[in-house]
Amino acid sequence: MSNLKGKRILIAKPGLDGHDIGAKIIALALRDAGAEVIYTGLRKTPGFIARVAVDEDVDAVGLSLLSGSHKELVAETMQELRKLDAGDIPVFVGGTIPAVDRAELMDAGVMAIFTAEMRLDDVVAEVARALTPVQAA
Amino acid sequence: MAAASSKQAERLDRRALGRALSRIANASVADALAGMRDSPNGARRIGITGPPGAGKSTLIGRLARQRLDNGAAVAVVAIDPSSPHTHGAILGDRIRMDAIADDPRLFIRSLASRGANDGLADNIADVLATLDGHPFDEVILETVGVGQAEYAVRSLTDTLVLVLVPESGDQIQAMKAGMLEMADIYVVNKADLPGAQKVASELKAVVKLRQRLAADWEPPVIMTGSPGTNDVATLNEAISRHLAFVQRTRNEDDVRRVRREYHLKSLLTRSVADILAKDPKGMDCSLREAFARVVESLKARQL
Repeated sequence: MSNLKGKRILIAKPGLDGHDIGAKIIALALRDAGAEVIYTGLRKTPGFIARVAVDEDVDAVGLSLLSGSHKELVAETMQELRKLDAGDIPVFVGGTIPAVDRAELMDAGVMAIFTAEMRLDDVVAEVARALTPVQAA
Repeated sequence: MAAASSKQAERLDRRALGRALSRIANASVADALAGMRDSPNGARRIGITGPPGAGKSTLIGRLARQRLDNGAAVAVVAIDPSSPHTHGAILGDRIRMDAIADDPRLFIRSLASRGANDGLADNIADVLATLDGHPFDEVILETVGVGQAEYAVRSLTDTLVLVLVPESGDQIQAMKAGMLEMADIYVVNKADLPGAQKVASELKAVVKLRQRLAADWEPPVIMTGSPGTNDVATLNEAISRHLAFVQRTRNEDDVRRVRREYHLKSLLTRSVADILAKDPKGMDCSLREAFARVVESLKARQL
């Protein structure tokens, strides 16, 4: 059973992409797992998203991208987070991410990549796993 | 002076403040008590309450723009409900404040109500105290919007605005003894919808009745949301007028006492909730015995 109780998660839509049903479904799934979810709304800049993440002090940022500009927008958002001394906030990505781009995004430090064929329970479980501190030996 | 503090807000360490607010919001009752400090020169506080869907967030977005233009550095604290089952929440208020969210002098923080059932959130008094320690001139506090039992937001704010909509007509009768007695300013939002004028008239009648009790401040009834009007400027001006009135007339000791009393009650309520949650079998006895057990547990909580 995934438990995200007390975790604050920002779901954001960077760039020019007018479809957010996927972002909203993820937001609701995370909420139902106990998270407090903030959604930015459509068409936000990486700078805006980073500032909301910092003001709201979220535990993770989820970027939903269906525009094809995921490589640029994910990199820019992470850059903006670092500029605000918030490079430690984990970023996960969802949407239309071709398999060939995944390694590059993961190398850039993305926490996880989710696509439409994945089960919601698995998505939530993976977010929960990533946000639960590993007990140090 | 206001302009100077706006400059300070631009240099605000948003990362540090964001983290400090999380610490406070997550603090246990004992931690909250340990970290407590009085903040004598805090920001002016504007409370915005009203039923869900009345347009509070959108109105706050427009109002905050005006307050910023007045020269004030502004923090908005917007509260949304937590699910009592999963504890999850969608904090969606800031989406409605998009038009202002890029202003560096503005800080918006969304909070989930968590255990609080008074329209506010756990540790809200401490969250506000933390903001008082930062260079904000004003804090706008948006309630969950239960429309009742909001004595809490009344206690914690200087100026309380109640936002209603034309469909609220029947609610006015029901609310006479609750929120209607407490607000300093009434807003009929979505005033381009049918029935707005009627609701405004009814409100004015209720306010007149109330006037007999306290004749010093006449709560205005303002209609907002009609395209092409200066309505939010009218609200902005009314708020400034009321804040000045409050500063002139109220006894600060009374205010401090009322706020401490709210703070104490909210900490006690949480303590009792903690005790009950940790001892689910504690209720398997008579109500009288259960009560005694809770009192004993409270006593055992050494600070």
